Amino acid sequence: MERGCLTLVRPLPKQSPPLLTRGRREVEMSPSEPPDDRRATNDRPMVAQTIVFSEVDVVREGRSALEAVSLTLAEHRIGIVGLNGSGKSTLLKAIVGLVRPTGGRITVDGRDAIAEARAVRATTGFLFQDPDNQIVFPIVAEDLAFGLKNHGFDRRETAARVAAALDRLGIGGFAKRRIHELSGGEKQLVALAGVLALGPKTVLFDEPTSQLDLRNRNRLEDVLRVMPEQAIVVAHDLELLADFDRVIVMEAGRVVADDRPARALAVYRERAA
Amino acid sequence: MIDGIGETGTTLLHRLPAGGKLAGLAIVATLLFFVSNPALLAAALPFGAAAMLATGRPPAVLLHQIAVPAITIALVGLADLLLVDAETALVVVLRLAALLAFAVAVTLTTTSAELADTFERALAPFDRAGLVDAPRAALTLTLAIRFVPLVGQEIAAIREAQAVRGLAANPVALAVPLIVRILVRAERVAEAIDARGFPPPRPDRSRSPTSPMGGAPSPSQMPGDLHDHP
Repeated sequence: MERGCLTLVRPLPKQSPPLLTRGRREVEMSPSEPPDDRRATNDRPMVAQTIVFSEVDVVREGRSALEAVSLTLAEHRIGIVGLNGSGKSTLLKAIVGLVRPTGGRITVDGRDAIAEARAVRATTGFLFQDPDNQIVFPIVAEDLAFGLKNHGFDRRETAARVAAALDRLGIGGFAKRRIHELSGGEKQLVALAGVLALGPKTVLFDEPTSQLDLRNRNRLEDVLRVMPEQAIVVAHDLELLADFDRVIVMEAGRVVADDRPARALAVYRERAA
Repeated sequence: MIDGIGETGTTLLHRLPAGGKLAGLAIVATLLFFVSNPALLAAALPFGAAAMLATGRPPAVLLHQIAVPAITIALVGLADLLLVDAETALVVVLRLAALLAFAVAVTLTTTSAELADTFERALAPFDRAGLVDAPRAALTLTLAIRFVPLVGQEIAAIREAQAVRGLAANPVALAVPLIVRILVRAERVAEAIDARGFPPPRPDRSRSPTSPMGGAPSPSQMPGDLHDHP
């Protein structure tokens, strides 16, 4: 039941309470964790871009990865689920031009995802499944600065943004840490800080919790819940998407359900059984 | 092994500009190359050791840094001893040992970002002449530094998996999956680097970015995409 180009227009969800006021966090915070996660609930206005897929086809290695996908993504938090090989990650990568459609067109706030990929990437961050593939420099602060340099920020602005992004995720003390000494969860937070430092309007998450333990998974969920940026999340972790605005179910490169989380996830569970 | 990850610090070596340190290392390396008197080469060793100690790092860290290269130097010396003669072996070992000491001193007091910046600046004239892509060359250097520890982790993971399946240590059995893993990772890293906006805008296109939300540059400020993604 593909919904085509229908755009869901709903009020954005209310801001969640500060992270540390929630019971689960109080229980799970370890003494070593910096207690300033609440900065993620800053009073920035919520932002979202309008991402439009128009009859998009993608053929990779002779196989159809996306087939006639038409979607308009404008909500604040959107989940994408589906079995392995269903086209979820391809759909996500196509938004920032990492995958070229073989048919149709994708625009992000009116900009073409291929022809204007650089401009699209300036406002659309991407968090990959394995942070080790995303982190380029061996020291945390240096790695955050890499993305900013690519987008033309000067040294002073870069330093300020690096500090602000680390503080926002409660890892301000990580600036001089060596990447290979961090845990998987810490690396994922560093990778996310690198994305957020650019001040994107949208962050694309490709299975962000697949390599995280429960504590770090919950921590990422908290970040997702309060971040003002639009979040589009590919996940097998269905609980993560439970309070999202919208969930899309993919199967064999096509959208087979597109609805509120409860209904979309019910469809997914039924089809996956 | 030299992990190539210098840290910020307060010693004299830390405060020296990265370009100066690298130029000094290049000069020392050149001089050592032309010296073939064992006594002179041996005299360089205490200076190299002093340079290492001047980094302010504990001896254990210094030993860790030189352990693997020292074994390599010993093997090279052994090969020279067997294939050439004892004097040549001595000269080669002393030369490489002195060079290693100075290189470790520079590496430990220069961050990878400083190294990459210096490398990029040094290549800038060639970049302007269209002979080299300086940002890409600097990124290559950085990636080599960053991913050395990860290759070690890949090797350990493959060995563990093979041991569990009863396979004894075998260089060929290790090399094949290692190469495959490295190639797969290389593709994913390349994808991530693209997503992070590399390459940076050329100098003549640079600007001071601002946006309505205090975030990324506005689309109108961004140059068109220069990549063609398959």
